[in-house]
Amino acid sequence: MLLAGGHGSRLGRLTKNIAKPALSFGGKYRIIDFSLSNCANSNIDTVGVLTQYKPFVLNSYIGIGEAWDLDNNYGGVHILPPFVGEDGGSWYKGTASAISQNIDFINFFNPGYVLIISGDHIYKMDFEPLIRQHKKTGADVTISAIEVEWLEASRFGIITTDDTDRIIRFTEKPTNPQSNLASMGIYVFTWPVLKKALLEDQNNPASDNDFGKNVLPMLLNQGKKLFIYRFKDYWVDVGTVESYYQANMELLLSEPPLKIFSPEFKIYSNEGILPPHYTGPRARIGKSLISNGCTVLGEVMNSILAPGVYVGEGARVEDSIILSNTRIGNEAWIRKAIIGENTEIKAHCSVGLSTGEHSPYAGITCIEDNTTICNGDLIEAGEYNTSSR
Amino acid sequence: MNRTIGIIFGNRRSNFLQGIDKNRPLAVVPFGGRYRLLDFALSSMVNSGIRTVGIITPSHYRPILNQLGAGKEWMLDRKSGGLFILPGINQGIAGWESLFLLKDLAKNIEYLENDFSEYVVLCGCNQIFNIDYNEAIVFHELSMADVTFIYKDIEKEGQKSLTGTYLKMLADGKVCGFMTDEEIFELAGLLPVFIDMVIINRKLLMEIVAGYESIENIGLLDVLIENKQVLSIFGFPYKGYFARIESVSDYFQCNMDLLNLDVRKELFWGTNRVYTKIRDNPPTRYSGKTLVRNSLVASGCNIMGVLENSIISRSVQIADNTQIKNSIIMKKCDIGKGVILENVIMDKYVIIKEGTVLKGQEQAPIVVNKSAVV
Repeated sequence: MLLAGGHGSRLGRLTKNIAKPALSFGGKYRIIDFSLSNCANSNIDTVGVLTQYKPFVLNSYIGIGEAWDLDNNYGGVHILPPFVGEDGGSWYKGTASAISQNIDFINFFNPGYVLIISGDHIYKMDFEPLIRQHKKTGADVTISAIEVEWLEASRFGIITTDDTDRIIRFTEKPTNPQSNLASMGIYVFTWPVLKKALLEDQNNPASDNDFGKNVLPMLLNQGKKLFIYRFKDYWVDVGTVESYYQANMELLLSEPPLKIFSPEFKIYSNEGILPPHYTGPRARIGKSLISNGCTVLGEVMNSILAPGVYVGEGARVEDSIILSNTRIGNEAWIRKAIIGENTEIKAHCSVGLSTGEHSPYAGITCIEDNTTICNGDLIEAGEYNTSSR
Repeated sequence: MNRTIGIIFGNRRSNFLQGIDKNRPLAVVPFGGRYRLLDFALSSMVNSGIRTVGIITPSHYRPILNQLGAGKEWMLDRKSGGLFILPGINQGIAGWESLFLLKDLAKNIEYLENDFSEYVVLCGCNQIFNIDYNEAIVFHELSMADVTFIYKDIEKEGQKSLTGTYLKMLADGKVCGFMTDEEIFELAGLLPVFIDMVIINRKLLMEIVAGYESIENIGLLDVLIENKQVLSIFGFPYKGYFARIESVSDYFQCNMDLLNLDVRKELFWGTNRVYTKIRDNPPTRYSGKTLVRNSLVASGCNIMGVLENSIISRSVQIADNTQIKNSIIMKKCDIGKGVILENVIMDKYVIIKEGTVLKGQEQAPIVVNKSAVV
C-alpha cells in the first residue's frame, strides 16, 4: 500500500498544483518513481496507491503502472481515492485511516503480509530481504529504520530497541530523542494483525489515525512483536524546499549517493518519447544533468534540466533545477532557483540574482508551474514568487 | 473500424553500410541517437491511425524482434489488430534488389485475408520521414484509384546521384510508368522520386499475389506497371523531410541533418511524434566544464570532453580531454582520455583506448564496427 495523498505543504509553491509524489526529481523522474520502481524490482505485483491531494497529474502519470512493469493480470496498480459507502464516507484523515478505509481492497487479495510505504521518499530499496526478515522473526510488524544525524532526529519517529532489534519504544517526533534510529515510514504487517489494529484504531475517537502517532504505540502497548529492519543505504524524505534542492544537487556529485546511474535495480519512469537533447553552436554545459528533448543554446552550469526544457541563446542557468517543458528566454539569467513545469521565463529576465541593497543573496528562489515571467523582469534571490505577473 | 492496415518490408537486404548492416537488418540500423530506421515507418503508420501493422522480416530477425517486442511503444499491443511479424522468404540472389517482393506477401497471405480493411499501405524500411497517410488515403479514395504511389519532388540540381525510381506522370496525376535513365537525364527541375510507399486496395493486392504466384521473384511494382492499362494508378506528393539511406555517406549526412533545427522540428516536434523503444536511462551527466557545440546527445551518457557537430547515442562514456567532431557514436561506446575523433561512425559497444586519434573525411567517414577495441 503506497501512501501518495500527501500535500507536501512545506514544499510551498512546488506542490501548489500537484501532489508531492508527482513532483519532478533528478531531471526525468517524479518522486513516486522510486517507490513504484522499488516495488517492481522487489517482485511486488499488487500495489494500491492511496491518493487524495490534487491527484490529477499523479493519477494520469501512474496510469495502470505499465511504465514500472506493474500491469499484470492478477493484481497490478490500483489507484485508491477516498470514496463513499452507504454510511457516507470521509477524507483520509491520517496514514492509518487511509489504509483502514481500504480494508475491503486488501481483503480482496487476502495477502499474508502488507507492506506500507510512502510515495514521498527518494531511495532504492529491495523489499524482499525486509519481508524475509519479517517472516523469519515471526514479527507482527517490522519497521524499516535508518540511523539519522542526531540533530535531525526530532523530525522523525524515533525507535529504541533491545539487543535483538525488537522495538521497546517508538516516539513520533520527540523533543529529546533517546536514539538516532529513525522510522522510514516503511512497515511490513502481518495482515490479520494490521486489520485488527486498524479496526481498533478506527473505534478510538481520540486517535489521529496515524501509524507513527497512534497505531504503532498502541501495538507496542499490547505487547505485540515489533522489530526493526536496518537499512544502510541512501534514503531521503524531501520535505522542504531546501532538502529537495539539496537532494537534487547531490546527483551532480562525481559519486552521487543515490545510484541512479547504475544499471542494476533501475528506476523506471513514465517518460514521453522525446528526441535526444540538442546543444547549440555556442552552448556551454558544466556539471549538469540534461534530459531528453532539451535544447540548450546558452550556458548551463551545475544544474538539472528536466525533459523538454529550452535554454535560449545567451541565457545562463546556474545552480538551478528547471522542471519539464519550461522555456528560458534569450539572455535570461537564472541562479539558485527551482523553476516549475511549463513555465516561461522571457528574455532578459533575472531570477535569483542579488540586487545589492535590500535583498542579500539568500535562499532558493521558487517559481511555480505554469507561470510566465515577463520580459526583463527581476525576481530577487530567495523571493518565492507568488502569482503570475 | 480501421479501414487501413500497414505492411513494412523490413527485409530489404543491404551491404552498403560498411559493416553496420553486416549482422543487422537494415530496418534496425541505429539512427539519430536513440532511434532505429524502422521507427520512422512504424510511427508514421501508427500516427495515421493504422493499428494493424505487419513487419516482413529477413531471416535473421532477432534484432527486429528485440526492438519491437510486443509493439507497446507504438501502441501496437492490441487485442484487435496490433503488430504482426511476417517472416519473409529467403530471397536468394535474384530477389536482391526487388522491392515489395510478391513471394513475401504470398507466404503471409493470411495476414491480408484475415483482415476486413479496405486499404493496405506498403512501406520500405530505410527512409527517414514523418508522413500522415490520412491525406494520401483521402486522395486515393477521391481519385478512385486502385493504387497510389507516394512520391517526393526533388530538385534535380545539386543531387549527388540520381539513383531511385522516378514516376512518369500524366497531367491528371496518373502514373504511366517509371522514367528511364534517358528521361531522367533530359528532364530539368523537379523530379518525382518514388519513396517506397504504396497505397493499394486490399482485395486487389490479394488478387495480384494469387495471380502471380507461379512467377519467381517478381516485385509488386513491376506487376502494377505491367497492368497500368487496367489499373488506375495515381501519384501523391509527400512534402515533408525525406531522406533515404543507401550508402554510408547517406547515413552520415542524414544523421547530420538532424542538427538542423527545421529538420528536427519537422521530424520530432510536430503533432506526430516518432516512437522508439524505451530504455529508462537516467539523464545525461556532464562532468566538469564542457563545450558541446551543435550536437545531439541521448540519455544515460557521461560526458567530459569537447563535442562538436556530433550525434551521441544512449549510455556513451566520454572521458576528459577528448575532442569529438563530426561523428556518430552509437550506444554504450566507451571513449578514453585524450581521444580525438573526426568524421567517424562508431557502432555500438566500441572501446577507444586512451590517446587514440581517428580522422576520416567528410565524404568518407571511418566506420568502426560493433564491439571493436581501438
